[in-house]
Parts: sequence; C-alpha cells; structure tokens
Amino acid sequence: MAKRIMITDDALFMRVTLKNILTQHGYEVVAEASNGREAVELYEQHKPDLVFMDITMPEMDGLQALKEIRARDPNAKVVMCTAMGQKQMVVEAIQAGAKDFIVKPFQPERIIEAVQKVA
Amino acid sequence: MKAEYINPFVGAAVNVFQMMLGVTPQRGQLSARKGIFTSQQCNIVLGVTGQLEGQIIIGMSVFTADKIASKMLGTTIRTFDELAASAIAELGNMISGAALTELASKGINCNLSPPSLIRGTNVRISTLEIPTLVVPLQTELGDVEINVGLMERAK
Repeated sequence: MAKRIMITDDALFMRVTLKNILTQHGYEVVAEASNGREAVELYEQHKPDLVFMDITMPEMDGLQALKEIRARDPNAKVVMCTAMGQKQMVVEAIQAGAKDFIVKPFQPERIIEAVQKVA
Repeated sequence: MKAEYINPFVGAAVNVFQMMLGVTPQRGQLSARKGIFTSQQCNIVLGVTGQLEGQIIIGMSVFTADKIASKMLGTTIRTFDELAASAIAELGNMISGAALTELASKGINCNLSPPSLIRGTNVRISTLEIPTLVVPLQTELGDVEINVGLMERAK
C-alpha cells in the first residue's frame, strides 16, 4: 500500500513542491498543514505514515508541533524539512524524536531517500 | 554594522541561486544604505532576532521576480499569484536560513521570522536606527539586491 504522508509548511510553494515530488514517486499526500497547530490536528485525523515538518511557521513552530505529535503518538514518524540548519536546532529536533533533518534547498532525491529510510 | 554579517547572506544567495535556479550570480560592490531608501519593486522581508537583531530585505524588479518564480515553479507564470509570491518568499527564507546557519557555526545564534513580500513602486523603506549594507547580485534572470541591517543586541 502506498505510504500516506502529511506535509507541513507555511509556504504554499513548498507544499506544492513536496507534493509533486512525493506523488510522482507513488506516495499519497493525505493532508497538508500550514502551521504547527494544524499539523497536530490533522495528524490526529489522518494518522499518516510520515510527516514532513517545517520549523519556522506562524502560530506554532515545527519543533513544538513535533513534540505535541510525539507526545500523543510515540510512534509518529516526523522528518524536519527547514531552511534553518543550526546544529542546536538539529539536536533539539532529533532529541524530540525527529527521524531525519533535511535542510532547504534540497534535491528531490533527498526527500525520497528520507521516505524510504523512515516510513 | 560589520561586513562579516553580510557575507554569509551573499554566499547563501549564490548557493541557493545555483541550486534552485541554475544560475551563478556575480557579486557587485558592497555599499551602505542611508536611513531611508527607495526599495526595489518586489521585496522579501525577513526579521532576525537573537544575538543579532534587524531585518533582511531582498529586492528585485517585478520582471526579475516573475522570471525567478517561473523558474522555481517550472512553468511560465502569467499572473503573480499566491503560488508565485510564495516561491519568491521561500527563496528569501532559504537564503536567510542558510546564512543564519553559517553565522551559528561561528557562535552567533539568531532566529528568523516567516518571510513577507512587499510589492509596489516607489516604496520608501526606513530601517530606523539600524544601519544597512547592500550587495547587488547580477544574474541571468535580472539583478537582485541583498540588504542586511543587523545590530548586536544590547547586553
């Protein structure tokens, strides 16, 4: 069965780009969130196999959303995908349970590699 | 403002342009902005907080913005819609994110606000007391200006 994936990014451009990459490779995008709060709600509704999560977002940032999602579902698989690659942020995300950390800009192959590795 | 603060933004811009747009920008002459300046037609504005505070303004003509957005979206855009605006804003986010990552590796830790886009002619921008440095970049898609106004936070 095709992996069911949720995308979280405040930038429409990034949601469209990620969705294109994923659907072209046969994955199903079941939900798109534009901030962390939406991501937490949509995760509950859809229980995706994998979440791509931006960090810098309005309302609730991606690190907070990662923590809330993992608190409700300790098996949640979340991959961070952000323009901010500071070591401190990578460490905080991994400690909070993120499975991978992708820094923008990325090549499409990097996204597929993460799905294959994690989901 | 120290020139060392602008170099990571210029370096990041060159990398992001190469990776996202397949063009290599040529760096122009560094100069200082006066307190108030007339902006380009299309500007990506990002706030910086942390050990440095201020803003990054990446300016270009609407013609250049159209060309960049078209390249990012892989299709010629006819109207500068929400998706095109998002692409341009994300370009600024990637450049600034990479630059702040570089600054963090030197022990200067900052955070970034989500980008906003300002379009219009004859827009006057004042960065108030924050001095701004600017580096123009020449690219095949048109010229792009990187304005960096950052101050060390008072301790």
